[in-house]
Amino acid sequence: MKPLIARYGTALAAVALFVVFAVTARNFLAVGNLIGIAKHVSPIAILGIGFALALIAAELDLSFANVCSLAAVATGTLVHRGHSPWLAAAAGLGVGIGFGLLNGLVVTRLKVPSLIATLAAAAIANGLAFMVTDGVSVVGRWPVAFTDLGRGEVLGIPALVWWMALVAAAALFWLKQTRGGFRLVCTGENVEAARLAGLPVQRLKVTGLVLSGAAAGLAAVLLTASLSSASATMAGDFLLTAIAAVMLGMTMFEPGHANIPGTMVGALTIGMLGNGLVLLGAPYYVQDVCLGFIIIGSVAVSASALTRAAFDV
Amino acid sequence: MALVAPLLELRGIGKSYGPVRALHGIDLAIGAREVIGLCGDNGAGKSTLIRILSGAERPSEGQLLAAGRPIEIRSPANALARGIATTYQDLALAARLPIVQNIFMGAELIRGPSLLGLLDHRRMRAEAATLLDRFGLGGIDLHRPVSDLSGGQRQAVAIARALRAKARVVIMDEPTAALGVAESRQVLDLIRRLRADGVTVLLVSHDMEDVMAVTTRVVILKKGHKAGEIETAGLSAARLGEMIMSGVVA
Repeated sequence: MKPLIARYGTALAAVALFVVFAVTARNFLAVGNLIGIAKHVSPIAILGIGFALALIAAELDLSFANVCSLAAVATGTLVHRGHSPWLAAAAGLGVGIGFGLLNGLVVTRLKVPSLIATLAAAAIANGLAFMVTDGVSVVGRWPVAFTDLGRGEVLGIPALVWWMALVAAAALFWLKQTRGGFRLVCTGENVEAARLAGLPVQRLKVTGLVLSGAAAGLAAVLLTASLSSASATMAGDFLLTAIAAVMLGMTMFEPGHANIPGTMVGALTIGMLGNGLVLLGAPYYVQDVCLGFIIIGSVAVSASALTRAAFDV
Repeated sequence: MALVAPLLELRGIGKSYGPVRALHGIDLAIGAREVIGLCGDNGAGKSTLIRILSGAERPSEGQLLAAGRPIEIRSPANALARGIATTYQDLALAARLPIVQNIFMGAELIRGPSLLGLLDHRRMRAEAATLLDRFGLGGIDLHRPVSDLSGGQRQAVAIARALRAKARVVIMDEPTAALGVAESRQVLDLIRRLRADGVTVLLVSHDMEDVMAVTTRVVILKKGHKAGEIETAGLSAARLGEMIMSGVVA
């Protein structure tokens, strides 16, 4: 019984929370509202999955939100200036991957702990985003071919939700069914054991950080398409929320390990919590207080993985 | 000691860390189906020597030969590829990962095109079960994390990993150091089975009784030098202890 509670306890608590909101908050169960929650958390979940992949390699990426903003600015600026939407999307992804690679090389070659390296990268990305935009948002009527990436619908489900599902499925498949994912997990669990087993641990750590950057780039493209705008601070609020989703996810399914199903349930739970509180008329700041408690509680359960990621080089 | 076509041969192997010389001109021939004890006091150079053989360190001088041909062991992966596997004192296992993942770490079995790198979970489970069966752990749940296992079982997992890599030489660094009497006995049985299966074992141990129980000869290091080597047959644990302390092998 105890292992079952450890594995599924948080997920069951999320189900209980769902039932509480379903009973107490009007319109919570409306299909439009539920789809809205899923749509709202999609960028958070994608960023969270990226953060989780870096964490699985025992590295922290605290730059993803600022990198996401910079990538959004790059994408938005190019679309706004009439360049091909595909070029703009590629630029957004490229910014994410480039920063991921930079983080990876700084951590593995210069031996700077990822906690510090990615904070520095966040500052660089933030500065560059303001440099490109002069602090002014890029807004416009952009080609439908581009905005459909984030606003379209397939089978009545918003494109953002499909993207989230696709990214989660791809990450899960890669981790569980491929040699690359298997090795990433081994490296994160015991880097010395992985090295002695012949794994290219430095390259795997770079891979984890590049994947986090790529997720930030993809989230940036989708957000820009969805909102038809981009600004230097547009993803700033996602930092804490996405980390909270991953932390909450580490308390379920594979307790103590960053994992993809947990991150998804974590993101949906946080989205549901915010939505339910709004429907119940709670002040906006209550969400932040809840988020803080979620992070503290989750980290208390999963402290070892975080300590390893934060302080090992 | 007449050895025909040594599996592995060390000629004048030395290692320096800056001004500090940890090993001086070590010569050693390692033959097939041997269990060789590598003994010495703390600081004798045992760990440095096994780190060189396992690819974790490069020698500063000297030559390594495999079947008479000069080789370089550039990395742990390179050592494994040459059939040399090492089980470390701390076992180098990822404690929170399942048994099967630990056994196949770095040597995953793949199905379909190699480029896709799709894991063959079924074959890995089957091979892991077969390997562990040799050590009496055939029925164990392969998804159990290594942290749930006893010391002897962990040692079996570490050895299974070495065997999975088709190792012809297994270096075991203090395999019984953290074990109780019964578990130590299991590990010594594992070593005997390895020898019976044609695997050569290089056993590093401070436990003279263990060394006497399973080795065919003993190599003694003293302050980075090879003090000598001697056949185990006819030797007593007490006499071996004296040789290690004095550095005089006779």
